[in-house]
Amino acid sequence: MKIINDIMKALIYLITIACIGELQAQLPAALQSGPVALKGGTIVTVSGGEIPGGTVVFDNGIITAVGIDADIPDQAEVIDITGKYVYPAMIHARSSLGLSEIGRVTETVDLNEHGTINPNVRAQVAYHAESDHIAPARTHGIALTVATPAGGIISGLSAAMLTDGWDWEEMTFEASTALIINWPDMRNATARDNALEQLSEAFLEARRYKKAKEAAGGDAVPHHKIDVRWEAMIPVLKKEVPVHINANELRQIQSAINWAEKENIRMVLVGGRDAGYVLPQLKDKNIPVIVTPVIGGPARQWEEYDRSYSLPGMLYDAGIEYCIAGDFAAPYTIRLPNHPASAVAFGLPEEEAVRSVTLYPARILGIEDRMGSVEVGKDASLIVSEGNIIELSNRVEQVFIRGRQIHMDDKHRRLFERYRERYSRMEK
Amino acid sequence: MDRFFYFFIAIFFLCHAGGAGQTSPVTGLRDNTPSVYALTNAKIVVSPGNTIEKGTLVIRDGIIESAGTSVQIPGDAWVADMEGKTIYPGFIDLWAETGFPDPDEGGRDLLESMNIPPEYAELVAQFIRPGSDQLSSAGALHWNPQIRSWYDAASAYRHDDEKAEKLRSQGFVIVNVVPPAGIFRGRTAVVSLGENDNNRLITKSNVSQAMSFETSRGLGGRYPTSLMGVISLIRQTWYDTNWYRRAHTAYLDDPRGLERPELNLALESLLDAALRDKPVLFDVADEIAFMKAVDIASEFDLNLWIRGSGYEYRRLDVIKDAGVPLVLPLNFPQVPDIESPEDAMNVSLESLRHWDFAPENPGRLNSAGIRIALTASGLSNNESFLDQLRLAVDRGLEEDAALAALTQTPAEMLGIISQYGSLEKGKVASFIVADGSVFKSSTKIEEVWVDGAPFEVEKPPDPDVRGKWEIKSADLGDLTLDIGGTESRLSGSIKKNEKDVNLLSVKFDKHRLSFGFPGDSVGMEGIVRLSASVSETELYGIGELADGTFINWKAVRRTLHENSDDDNSGKNSEMSEGRILYPSMEYGFEAKPKMPDHLHVKNATIWTQGPQGRIENADMLVSNGRVVQVGSGISTPRGAVVVDATGKHVTPGLVDPHLHTSIRGGVNETGNNMTPETRIEDVIDPDNIWIYRLLAGGMTTANLLHGSANPVGGQDAVIKMRWGSLAGDMLIQGAKPGLKLALGENVVRNSNEYPNTRMGAEQIIRDAFQAAKDYMEEWNQWEQRKTGIPPRKDLQLEAMAEVLRGERIIHAHAYRQDEMQMLMRLGEEMGFNIASFEHTVEGYKIADILSDHEAAAVIWTDWSSFKVESDDGIIYNARILLEQGVLTALHSDNTQLSTRMNWEAGKILATGIDEITAMDLITINPARILGADELVGSLEPGKHADFVIWSGHPLSGFTHAEQTWVDGRKYFDRKEDLVRRKEVRKERAALIQKAAAKSAEAGQGSSRQSTKSAVSTTRTFEK
Repeated sequence: MKIINDIMKALIYLITIACIGELQAQLPAALQSGPVALKGGTIVTVSGGEIPGGTVVFDNGIITAVGIDADIPDQAEVIDITGKYVYPAMIHARSSLGLSEIGRVTETVDLNEHGTINPNVRAQVAYHAESDHIAPARTHGIALTVATPAGGIISGLSAAMLTDGWDWEEMTFEASTALIINWPDMRNATARDNALEQLSEAFLEARRYKKAKEAAGGDAVPHHKIDVRWEAMIPVLKKEVPVHINANELRQIQSAINWAEKENIRMVLVGGRDAGYVLPQLKDKNIPVIVTPVIGGPARQWEEYDRSYSLPGMLYDAGIEYCIAGDFAAPYTIRLPNHPASAVAFGLPEEEAVRSVTLYPARILGIEDRMGSVEVGKDASLIVSEGNIIELSNRVEQVFIRGRQIHMDDKHRRLFERYRERYSRMEK
Repeated sequence: MDRFFYFFIAIFFLCHAGGAGQTSPVTGLRDNTPSVYALTNAKIVVSPGNTIEKGTLVIRDGIIESAGTSVQIPGDAWVADMEGKTIYPGFIDLWAETGFPDPDEGGRDLLESMNIPPEYAELVAQFIRPGSDQLSSAGALHWNPQIRSWYDAASAYRHDDEKAEKLRSQGFVIVNVVPPAGIFRGRTAVVSLGENDNNRLITKSNVSQAMSFETSRGLGGRYPTSLMGVISLIRQTWYDTNWYRRAHTAYLDDPRGLERPELNLALESLLDAALRDKPVLFDVADEIAFMKAVDIASEFDLNLWIRGSGYEYRRLDVIKDAGVPLVLPLNFPQVPDIESPEDAMNVSLESLRHWDFAPENPGRLNSAGIRIALTASGLSNNESFLDQLRLAVDRGLEEDAALAALTQTPAEMLGIISQYGSLEKGKVASFIVADGSVFKSSTKIEEVWVDGAPFEVEKPPDPDVRGKWEIKSADLGDLTLDIGGTESRLSGSIKKNEKDVNLLSVKFDKHRLSFGFPGDSVGMEGIVRLSASVSETELYGIGELADGTFINWKAVRRTLHENSDDDNSGKNSEMSEGRILYPSMEYGFEAKPKMPDHLHVKNATIWTQGPQGRIENADMLVSNGRVVQVGSGISTPRGAVVVDATGKHVTPGLVDPHLHTSIRGGVNETGNNMTPETRIEDVIDPDNIWIYRLLAGGMTTANLLHGSANPVGGQDAVIKMRWGSLAGDMLIQGAKPGLKLALGENVVRNSNEYPNTRMGAEQIIRDAFQAAKDYMEEWNQWEQRKTGIPPRKDLQLEAMAEVLRGERIIHAHAYRQDEMQMLMRLGEEMGFNIASFEHTVEGYKIADILSDHEAAAVIWTDWSSFKVESDDGIIYNARILLEQGVLTALHSDNTQLSTRMNWEAGKILATGIDEITAMDLITINPARILGADELVGSLEPGKHADFVIWSGHPLSGFTHAEQTWVDGRKYFDRKEDLVRRKEVRKERAALIQKAAAKSAEAGQGSSRQSTKSAVSTTRTFEK
């Protein structure tokens, strides 16, 4: 049955390619032109339970109705999804997608800016809209990835990017998602102290800059020149933009928390490998954690083999706000749902795991008003799938990003079709 | 001037090293001082277990003339009363690293060892600096600078007084000096630790050939860069030695018409060891290396001695079975860094256990009946040897055994037992004089005699001035002087008429004491300043009073300073309470998991991956480690172990065809672009925690492969995850041996070396196979001819010839379609098949060709774009390959990935592959590729009972392994794991507590110096 299904699909592809040509198949989707209703599937709202036999209606990219008896406008395109599921599209909270093409070819990698203090660099401006890795991400149900600079002490400003669009401006969902900081290795005292000094100095200078700027126009305050670095940090100091701190080892985590509290900034812990050893502190200080990666081995020889898989479950049990990010490497963006799945194998409840790549990243990124669940008023960034989106065998049937029905095509599928054509010609 | 000229000059000087001996003329006056001594009233430990309580030792001209209780003291003897002393035979060290410079300092140190005069040093240095062709340009030595078997300690030894003194201070009188550099380090020599010219000190040359698994970077050379390369080079060298003997014998027999075999002093120097005439003294870093040294010795029938590592206790039974004498360092580890809890988090249970057990290693080996000699080498400071020896005795090494291990045993091994090793009449007068049992930490070695000459070790202490003294003085009146404090920081008080005053600045040096005290409190004026000459019992003093009066005073001792007991603080002297685990680390087993005679797995969904397919509600019967039956309605044999797997899934144990874990000393041998001689089986690390973690993920069989740095890599090893077993026992018997080839980016990367293009990669592989064909032909001709010079066994070409003969299969690392196509065509032309391509990222582009060639594809699920040649990696690769009939398997190439291959297969489902086929990709298909499908990979009658019980559907991301069985033994059980992880933490915590207590004691101990005996030794004669 499945094979027949596949052959059918392949045929549809071939016809599609023949009709609109290979180029068009990978085109960004057209804007939503009229209301769409996904009818008769199981709606996994994520925020409000599952609605079997439900309908989701969206228009102008926004969800307008969800429910069993949702009103379907007359002019709506109705897509029957009986037996299928609707999920909110996934969010990858830490990724190099768009910033990196082939890891070992440095010319294709825009991640690490020169120097150690780069609060002013902005990820979205280097986001390569034509990257081959973006299409697979969207066909796998990932609508949003946080393009994240790396390297140095302050790496720059990350940006939440849509996985469909013509150019980076169109694809930028939200700029300045977070200021990225890499906490220094605490084992080497000299390197550690040097890095921490640079970090504190940057924050101190930024505060002096902010104060001078706020005083501008006052009596006896002369003109101050712009400093692009400290200018970029003002929203961070005002707590409008959070700081995402990469820290994995116990001492790093504790030291980062203390520092963030002292600096009075909004901290999100990223990585958090040893977070399980400092749960009460994370809880007391309300530090959200972006766990990444979940799939991994223990850091220490004596640790339990499933330590890494168990971490999301530990955070959940402790009532700590968290989400799960997947592999940082761009080609592996598609593995995002594998990480929460592995956490389920070691104790995280299944519904929680789904939230950890949908609703929870939306919350931690401060975009839950628009993303993360199937709710009226939110963006119609949705997945129609055969089953649970985080189950390994799941197939994503259709993805909508802001209501746009995306072309379910990518480099994998293109090369698949191309070489099946080779063999089909041989059979003739 | 020609640099070569100076080089030969330097070599000339090399031959003229050393001083004069009995044959040298006397310059100046002759020294004819008699050398006859009688040491009386001593406790004489003649040999272990043979002690004379109060005896006399007579020494004449360096020889023991007599030893006993009723010895006639010769009239010409200089008599010393040794009341209270114990005399031991001098210690013998079988591994001393003295007399040669450190090789890793680069060429300069080596120069020194060659005795090259400084004016030529700079020029000669150019020839021996790392990276140059160095010594191979001088003399008929070895092409590889690490092979220094020709190096002769007896020629090169330079006496180092300072090091000799350090060794003497620990009781050593004679040592086997070992050249410091190379894999074959050269011939060792026995050297006395006295003071004399080289001809007298070096007593025996060519004692043994020293070997090591480690290269010395300072010697230069490119090959080998890995442990497996080292082992291959060692094996090739022994083969070459045997060939060398045969070739030269044949040539000498009748040279007419024969090509003259090369002259090679390195091989020539090994001829005696190859015939067991000389022992091979092999340095090993742990018990795994020990076993490898034993393997090599048995392959080449060598007389093996091993310098051990301190880890032998971990495999006592195997060490015992080897029957090899062990030269044992006492390198017990320092207290691990557990200062803070987070420091302790980074200390493994393995290292904590080693800290806990190591001091018991010598005792355990001895109790097991293993022949041991002890060595002071391996310590960061030779002078800590006695401390470590005493710790070993505290921790179970019997004193007599310790003494034998330092005297008799090494003397026998070195063939000097008729001169050394005991204090019997006629032997060399090299012995120890101590003020008590040498095994007690309060005991001092006072003198060590070497060849009849005494050396003072511990200077006789000044009398201990501490204690109470009674001063009687007309000027001062009656006072009580009480001196205390530590020897280096004295303090004290003076008491007059029940009034106490603390002393000011108490100083004591060279039998003189000085101090002062404020006089007012005892009714005197100003500060009273006194000094005195000190003997055991009396002070004769002078002083000056505030009014200028010069006074004399005298005091007699009333009490001695209290002598504290042996100071054991900070010493790891408590016996370990730990159980021996296999391996001795986290999650080690106390014993190999049991194999039930019969095992009945019930009510599971069984994925047989064989003709029976997947069966619901099925049972499996296992007997003696083999599958007997799978199906329903199986009755439970009597006494069978029953496993209820209701609601669970059972699959074959997973098979990973491409993994690089548990490989010791480097995954790649990069010293050459062709290294088929290297063998992974030589370097398997069975004690890698990942073996356990792989079991926890259901992985039971894996092919460990050489890396992809060179076009022709090494030989692989198919292992089973038999956690706790020896490296050799992890190999699966019956799998097809393989050879790694590599193509593409990795092998063309090095611009300094051929190949730089995919074109060159083809040519170098072609060339290698052509050479193998010629080699086979050479041997064919020899087999028919059997006269003249036999061909040389070449381990590189042997491996290639095995491929051509179909005895070894090819696993070729490749990404792009072009390179795969090239290799298949090359194979067809040269007559070899490619069993599998590894990675095969573009396999889907030429699936039909792979299929025609019957080359399998070993692939990832979703790896791509990490480098250019992987940019066309697609998740549909398996789908197309399978559709075109290519035997396809998933591999990990990554240890962590290998712990979750069921999830990798689960991801494949989304590309349109059915469940059974997806499971094939990680079970029977890889087993087929490894030629092991008759044994593993499916659950069929007769096959190994390697299987996994899963918590749910094995291809679901929500599923984990609950039990993993190998050979019908349960190696992993999650329920047990949950208990064992607590035990691991508990054992760690207990050892951390113990270590913390020791650290705290040691911290206090440093300010609480041990005190010496108040009774001074009585020197009865002068040297």
